[in-house]
Amino acid sequence: MKNKVKKQISGFSEIEKEIEILRKHALDRSVEKGQVSQIIHRLHPRKLNLAVSEIHPETGSAKTFRLVSQDHYLPPFQAGQYINLFLDVNGILTSRPYSISSSPCQTAYYDITVRRIKNGFFSNYLLDEIQPGDVFQSTSPAGYFHHNPLFHGKDLVFIAGGSGITPFMSMVREATDKKLDQQIHLIYGSQQDDDIIFQKELSERESSHANLTVTHVITEPSSSFSGYKGFITAELIQTVLAGTNPADKMFYLCGPEAMYGFVLSQLEMLGIPKRRIRVEIFGPPEDITAHPGWPETIQKEDWFQIRLSQGRTFEAKAGETLMNSLERNGITLETSCRSGVCSLCRTKLVSGKVFHPAGVQIRKSDRRYGYIHPCTAYPLEDLELMI
Amino acid sequence: MVDYDAVVIGAGNGGLTAGLTLARAGVKTLMLERHNIPGGCATSFVRGRFEFEVALHQLSGMGTESFPGPLRSMLNDLNVIKDLEFVQMENLYRAVIPGQMDITLKADRGQAIQALKAKFPQETSGIDGLFDLVWAFCNQWVHVAIMRDPEASPEKYPIYFQYALKDTQTVLNTFLKNPLLQSAVSIYWSYMGMPPSRLPFGDFAIIFWAYTEFKPYHIKGGSQALSSSLLNAYMEAGGEVRFNCGVRKILVENNRTKGVVTDQGDEISTQRIVSNAGSYSTYVDLIDREHVPEERWRELGARTIGTSAVTVFLGMDAEPEDLGIRETTNFITETTDNDLAFATFKTLDSPKAMLFTCYDVDDPDFSPKGACQGAIVALAYSEPWLSIPTTRYYETKYRYAQDMLNTLYKVFPDCKNHIEEMDVATPLTHMRYLGHPGGAIYGFEQSAKDSELFLDSASPIEGLYHAGAFTGMGGFQPTLMSGQSAARKVIRALQK
Repeated sequence: MKNKVKKQISGFSEIEKEIEILRKHALDRSVEKGQVSQIIHRLHPRKLNLAVSEIHPETGSAKTFRLVSQDHYLPPFQAGQYINLFLDVNGILTSRPYSISSSPCQTAYYDITVRRIKNGFFSNYLLDEIQPGDVFQSTSPAGYFHHNPLFHGKDLVFIAGGSGITPFMSMVREATDKKLDQQIHLIYGSQQDDDIIFQKELSERESSHANLTVTHVITEPSSSFSGYKGFITAELIQTVLAGTNPADKMFYLCGPEAMYGFVLSQLEMLGIPKRRIRVEIFGPPEDITAHPGWPETIQKEDWFQIRLSQGRTFEAKAGETLMNSLERNGITLETSCRSGVCSLCRTKLVSGKVFHPAGVQIRKSDRRYGYIHPCTAYPLEDLELMI
Repeated sequence: MVDYDAVVIGAGNGGLTAGLTLARAGVKTLMLERHNIPGGCATSFVRGRFEFEVALHQLSGMGTESFPGPLRSMLNDLNVIKDLEFVQMENLYRAVIPGQMDITLKADRGQAIQALKAKFPQETSGIDGLFDLVWAFCNQWVHVAIMRDPEASPEKYPIYFQYALKDTQTVLNTFLKNPLLQSAVSIYWSYMGMPPSRLPFGDFAIIFWAYTEFKPYHIKGGSQALSSSLLNAYMEAGGEVRFNCGVRKILVENNRTKGVVTDQGDEISTQRIVSNAGSYSTYVDLIDREHVPEERWRELGARTIGTSAVTVFLGMDAEPEDLGIRETTNFITETTDNDLAFATFKTLDSPKAMLFTCYDVDDPDFSPKGACQGAIVALAYSEPWLSIPTTRYYETKYRYAQDMLNTLYKVFPDCKNHIEEMDVATPLTHMRYLGHPGGAIYGFEQSAKDSELFLDSASPIEGLYHAGAFTGMGGFQPTLMSGQSAARKVIRALQK
């Protein structure tokens, strides 16, 4: 609208005068340069520069790494959240998410607890090579596997398998240190009774806090072990929770891939509705070709050509995630969860076909326009990616 | 030789329509977006089996195929309408003050008047009077502001010139006595983030009239479907885009743009830049102080940054009707005193006005079968959130959201027993994802002094153009259209 016209609106000149006064005594906004990113940085820095301050052996197969900030500041986190560690492993810049096992009451450091696993490319490198004083980068804490007081309630059942204890350790530490109004049952499955991570601390916390009970379940018990043996079955859960209504509780699951399917079926047998179950992400499956929906005609060792829009091409194995193949070829994408849910690695597939296992969280419109999450995508043909 | 004819900073609503308009005109364009997904506010995120809508509640300006509104016409021009499916909403809204009032207005002038008269039979003439004024005002506004009648004058269009800048509350008082009735009619003030006492009547009239005449809409797949279709069309038209690539600096020489430097340190030369970063961030964060004329600092310093919001996203394992949810759009307020409600937005106390949208009412496909999603939104300024120590941020966020949920449960008690997923966004979340000062979702405040009539969105730096909420009114339709209009200016300049 022309100024000449505007000026005839009743009340216009009064507001113009007001603006004139405001301009005369204007704030100098240029001093606010960088303020927005500073504010956000306090809660969600893009990257953390960490150093290993101590390494503490937990069991014969597991160690805790105490990580401190090189920038003198670590953002707060919610018990159960993880950080994604970036590391150069034998010439490949890659990353893996690890739950923080220390309490959120303590932000001078983050602890991560790592257990040796068969063919564990990253974990075993951490256990064998990393020394106090070593430095690396990580994302800031993320993830949704934490207590949400708005609807989780106060009656919580934690079901852990092996190193899946780490997020629960943070939750237990917080709840007992802060004396939170929560009733926690921890059902903790381990392979052997002499290899239980945090066993001593858990038993100490259990004996000094009436609102925490810990039940160990051992699959390969020694002859002297007198507790629960075998798997975490519906029957066992019911026995542990005797006298209470399981449907009033919130169940949390974290452990190895094989545990999820089994325990979820047991919870279903107990009539636990889906909305009362929280499941932690667990990375790409160990053998994608065994996954429902995988095309029979394609083998793990089939190789396909990956072409990038920037012009490079390389070969990738069908049985390996595209993110891993990209990293082997020197291309590191933004990523946090490496489990298909955070969507940071979202990439446009220009041509070709990939396989995403069920549970990978891709937006409807991304499916339509061909965007994939390379952290959990496997090539089924020659591909072109917009990278 | 420049790298690109034009660079678009930010793939929000304004950036996307700017980019698409440029690419379709054959302008060699690069779009830079610091996040990994297009849309800015117009986006979604996935939790469990739900894809949550982040920002869109009621799309305005669509109209029908036979009576297209301005937004439908633009999406037609941009050739993306074929990729999208729109669902017309039957109602403007349901307005509830628990224990005091509960009324639903259909998106139809006659039926809305009828519903109001049935609840407030003593005020029939006032209701007629107000509706007559709103429609008469908008008719005149179309002639003055849209068709730009060269003979526009207070004599020819007296209602427009008299009422455009009057405050809404004064006008409401002239026609309506019962504060409940005033609330029922004026609740769209919260879409503007300004209480009726500070909201220009012109802006209120236009929003009420436009939703009634052009109808409120929902997009199948949510606002992300729109953002993704715009980006797809942009790329098909030859536009280039880089995600995870923010702009660190706009290069200026002799008062004209020369290029941009990305966060990764790449220098890209161009003579034309459309910034969807908002005028505040563009000048304060992206351009060296000495290149911004003093006059622009005064202009920015006189403006007030607008409101942000707190949103509680709910995924529930029941159909809307099982939860007693019959309307998509539900305004729940706890007082008829809108100034008081507005005052709560500047505190961490329980907000006294909020919106609850359940998308599945009008679009049963929005969530998986047997489930639905809702969003509770309360407007909130960032200041009190900025004073919380970081160690207390999460507990504050949950405490605040619990207050909002308690209000929701007064109207929809069954929601409480069906929650499967929930997340909360605060002004700090908006700040993080939008990069705007104060996490502002509508740009500058929508008071008279910061309204479109008094905003000069033309840049004093040659080659720089602005798109997005900071150029005028906030919301989907205005920001989408601002991008097209900025791109047209670039195209004209390139043709010279």
